[in-house]
Amino acid sequence: MTPTLYIGLRFLLHRKRALLLSLTGVVFGVAIFICTQAQTQGFAQHFVNSTIGSNGALVVKSRFRPRYPSLAVPARTTKATPALRLQFEGITNANEIMRVSRQFPDVVSCSPVLRGTVSARAGFQNATVDLYGVDAALHAHTTDILRQLIAGKYDDFRNNTTTLIIGSKLADYLGVQTGDTMQLLSPSGEYWRFTVAGIARAGVGSIDATRVYAHARVAQTLLQRPFGASMIIYKLRDPGRAPALATQFENLFQHNSESWQDREESTLQLFLTLRASAAITVSLIILLAGFGIFNVLTMSVLTKVKEIAILRSMGYRRIDISAIFLWQGALIAAAGSFLGCLLGSVLTWMIGRIPIRIRGLLYADHFLVSWDWRHYFWATVLAIIAVLIASYVPARRAAELPPVATLRGSSV
Amino acid sequence: MNGQTALKCRDVERYLGEEEERVHALRGVSLDLEPGSIHAVVGASGCGKSTLLYVLGLLDAPDAGFVAIEDEPMSHLKDAELARKRNEFIGFIFQFHFLMEDFTAQENVMIPMRRLGQLPEKEMCERAARLLDAVGLGNKLTRPSRHLSGGEQQRVAIARALANDPRVILADEPTGNLDTNNSERAFELLQRLVREGDKALLLATHNPAIAEACDWIHEMMDGRIFASHARAQRGTSFS
Repeated sequence: MTPTLYIGLRFLLHRKRALLLSLTGVVFGVAIFICTQAQTQGFAQHFVNSTIGSNGALVVKSRFRPRYPSLAVPARTTKATPALRLQFEGITNANEIMRVSRQFPDVVSCSPVLRGTVSARAGFQNATVDLYGVDAALHAHTTDILRQLIAGKYDDFRNNTTTLIIGSKLADYLGVQTGDTMQLLSPSGEYWRFTVAGIARAGVGSIDATRVYAHARVAQTLLQRPFGASMIIYKLRDPGRAPALATQFENLFQHNSESWQDREESTLQLFLTLRASAAITVSLIILLAGFGIFNVLTMSVLTKVKEIAILRSMGYRRIDISAIFLWQGALIAAAGSFLGCLLGSVLTWMIGRIPIRIRGLLYADHFLVSWDWRHYFWATVLAIIAVLIASYVPARRAAELPPVATLRGSSV
Repeated sequence: MNGQTALKCRDVERYLGEEEERVHALRGVSLDLEPGSIHAVVGASGCGKSTLLYVLGLLDAPDAGFVAIEDEPMSHLKDAELARKRNEFIGFIFQFHFLMEDFTAQENVMIPMRRLGQLPEKEMCERAARLLDAVGLGNKLTRPSRHLSGGEQQRVAIARALANDPRVILADEPTGNLDTNNSERAFELLQRLVREGDKALLLATHNPAIAEACDWIHEMMDGRIFASHARAQRGTSFS
């Protein structure tokens, strides 16, 4: 143990009340920071998992062809405009695209989807629904549909082409249960009868209120589409790689490709704003704790003026005196961060068990929390920065104290 | 004064305060401290005794002149180097002992050793115990310094000043806060340790008996040493 750490520790332990006060501020600041981040990210993570689980991490959509610019050289003053694209609805070579894209190591699986909007009717209730024509086997492998089923069996859907799986909120709205009949209206104006084989809850309100899954071939006939897929959805090993892979796929297949980050940008920004807002609010608590430590250490310097002069007379350098007080701050930061992380994890665990009924953007029956080491890391970093800044001024002041002035106070 | 000097100063000038309150505290002071010698600086309060001690102890810088430890001038050294010299070569004893209240007697003595960093923890403990034993406090090693009497605290301060086996001990009224009995005991202790360790001791004192017991008496007035008397010149023996 260095002499400055030793003396700093002794100074700190000698003033137990001040130490407790300083520690409390840091512990609560760190713990509350962790809790709020765990909650806000918990809800955001739930949303992300749900949307990726239902709509995939990456979607390849309609084909495009660049609209080639004129061969004439533009004037130098002309601003360059991005090349326009000619769009062609649907994917005609879905199997070929899927075969190639499966070669990418990031791709776990992919599934073609024929998407369209139709009217649904059950009893006297009507609703406009988002019809997903899927390959039952591939879709089960690519999405979380099996986990999302809250009623019925997926095999019943897989083995019977006249069955549907519908979103939980839509089922409530139409008043149907598994085994019930519902009808979908084709563009030609005729109603097709289906049996509800399952009810799925994605956990995202907009999906659960509109989504209907049917078999791809049935959907193609119902929607009267000339192509078998309007998009291909992908499950990736690392969803974080989706934007890079989307760019790669777009260049490779000449089809519009969209990552989940682009698709859910507005909602993600909302969550990000909430997290940032919570982080700023809680950071103020840590800053207040830092201010408390500033006061405690300043008082400590004032009460230790004599000791500082003695230490200087014994050969301690200015930098040593400074280090004694910086060590005190560092020890408070270290102990406060450690205890704060412990308290934060306990509080996060407890908050995760608080029952709450959420039926809107998200579906949840209790507080959603996220366990992420980065919350602990950043809370600790923030606490250490705040405490060290708070310690710096008193430490510098201590180092600048002229020892002779103090010693002269007792004898001239 | 002949032989190699442990500490010396030449033509030291020191001003204290600012503008109207500016005081010429030291006026061309020169002094040599040889190993094994005991020097007393006497004079009225405010004559510059403490200022001289702080300048010689490298706690304060002279405005003119220089201080040298073993013939090495200190004027050009920076704060960190001066601190190292203080730690290695100089031991301070103050009138109000100035112990660290949060520490035990033994821990107080170990503080300079920790800074020097030449001994492992165990040896520092043993050396501190030996020093405290030498000043008669071998049975109070673990007692917090604030629970010691005034005389005991001053003896801890003496042990602490000797912690790094310095060549020079500077004592500012070391017995000024003690009763007669304790004053005599503390001075005798200092005398013995200085003689045994071949150290140089300079003490500022108002106590004539203690001054008379020193090898040299330097009389100060208005920032000047106007007279220095060796014991031989005084024709008496006090030790």
